[in-house]
Amino acid sequence: MEQILKSSQLSKYFYQKKALDKVDINIEEGKIYGILGPNGGGKSTFLKIAAGLLKPSQGEITIDNKKPGVYTKSIVSYLPETNYLYKWMKIKDTLNFFNDLYADFDVERARESLKFMELEEEEKVTSLSKGMMGRLKLTLALSRKSKVYLLDEPLNGIDPISREKIITSILDSYSERTSILICSHLIYYIEKLLDYVFFLSEGRIILSGDAEELRNKRGMSIDKLFQEVF
Amino acid sequence: MITLLKYEIYRRWRWLVLRYAALIIIGAILLNRVSSPTYQYEFIGESIGKFALTSLIIFIIIIVEGINMLKEDLFEESGYLTFTIPKKGRTILASKLALLLLQLILWTVITIGFGSIFFSKLPYPEIIQIKTQINFYFFPTVLFILTAFFNFVLMIHFSLTLTKTLLVNKRYSGILSIGIFFFLVYLIEKLYYGPFLNQIKHISIEIGSRSNIDLLSGGYTAVFLNIILTAIFFTATAYLLEKKINI
Amino acid sequence: MEFNNNIPIYLQIIDNIKQDIVVGKLKAGQKMPSVRELAGILKVNPNTIQRVYQELDREKITFTKRGMGTYVTEEEKTISSLKEEISKKIILDFVEGMNKLGFSNKELISTLKEYL
Repeated sequence: MEQILKSSQLSKYFYQKKALDKVDINIEEGKIYGILGPNGGGKSTFLKIAAGLLKPSQGEITIDNKKPGVYTKSIVSYLPETNYLYKWMKIKDTLNFFNDLYADFDVERARESLKFMELEEEEKVTSLSKGMMGRLKLTLALSRKSKVYLLDEPLNGIDPISREKIITSILDSYSERTSILICSHLIYYIEKLLDYVFFLSEGRIILSGDAEELRNKRGMSIDKLFQEVF
Repeated sequence: MITLLKYEIYRRWRWLVLRYAALIIIGAILLNRVSSPTYQYEFIGESIGKFALTSLIIFIIIIVEGINMLKEDLFEESGYLTFTIPKKGRTILASKLALLLLQLILWTVITIGFGSIFFSKLPYPEIIQIKTQINFYFFPTVLFILTAFFNFVLMIHFSLTLTKTLLVNKRYSGILSIGIFFFLVYLIEKLYYGPFLNQIKHISIEIGSRSNIDLLSGGYTAVFLNIILTAIFFTATAYLLEKKINI
Repeated sequence: MEFNNNIPIYLQIIDNIKQDIVVGKLKAGQKMPSVRELAGILKVNPNTIQRVYQELDREKITFTKRGMGTYVTEEEKTISSLKEEISKKIILDFVEGMNKLGFSNKELISTLKEYL
């Protein structure tokens, strides 16, 4: 299968601290990956480099054989953990903005998703609860028909009902042509979605493998394995 | 660029309208008072002063807003959106500077417009006196001030962007940005304006052409130097935004 | 469907489908849901379902018509042997469990009778 995202010996230092230390991650088309690890383990740093927000200190990352830049940003849909939407926006403004700036944004799909997520277009971004914000961010990220989705903690701080909706949406947007990378420390809820997992701790990959094989070999869930490893 | 500019305008269009409406309305009220037949010349200065103050406040707002447009995206969470859209660094920067430029032009037109009407209300001998002084230097001076302030904002943009390239820690970024800015100002004065202007003055005095000296001291050369500086800082900032910053 | 995440998910889904076929919830020759549909219903990765169907095809419990979908086998023999296989497994598990608890085979039968 074709590799869409490749990192080799990717490192990122913040002063003395190694946020990422020689990380090799290969992502194939048509699979869902989990980058799992404790907070501060380097998950977000990896996604931020892939999204083009951080520059690597050493090593290299390529997406569709290109280094992060304007092209990769056009094929990568990134869901950050932060409240990155402009504070002046209403929900409908966010739709218009994404539609104007991303060629692969599907407004119709976004509108349907808003209905499913029970969000009103006239609502102001700043007045949304944490769960609603999470649902909106996911709607925007998944309404792009991108090659790669980078989802940073999509379930963090999300109530159980939103959680179900978010998992359904992630499954809906999956296709054989896309790759999805999910960073999370809430493994219990997402492990059924994952083809392949990387455990990232202190900037290093300490374990990786096919999710089913790991379950088979270790006789335990990814969640339990995670708790055992960390 | 136009798409991003559209959103920069759209997000603050109420403030923009309010700002220029206020300037025009206050100008019109003061002008109306000055125009009344019972109004005495001695008080025209006061009205001009009030208008100048309003205009100055709005000018400061424009400049501060110009700085904040990029500062927000560099130092706040909205940067996660601004710097993941598939646009080049120079496009993002240009959209912000375009709004600054549009505003500076609009402000200048309104201010000069009202200013000239106010001046026409002054007693005749004073008008003559001011006119002879202004005519030679007026346009280059206006252009010089506008380009200088445009560069002022752009240099702060550059300082902030360089800070974001060098530092990840937010805590010291304020100090570092200010440090970089003043260092730049010092360098430019020492190495750029100083030698250039001195040398050109020197040459033109030797040539002995009077009109040439007027032109130079009037500031077209300085305007020209400003524009070159704009190009340099624009290129450098756009490069850093695209290739180097860590959000 | 509730999963026990300690065991590979595709195996659990396979067992579940086999059971549905044996009890007649899924009828011989019936069309199975598409990979996407089933993934959506069970909220699992579509590749897992892909694997399930591949495995079921391999065991001849289902067959896939190109571009049409996956169907439950029409072979009565396969279904009945499936039934046998499952019941054997249940009995084996039961016997093994009881033996572990220290029941002799005789005791096991008499205890079982009390419940029937």
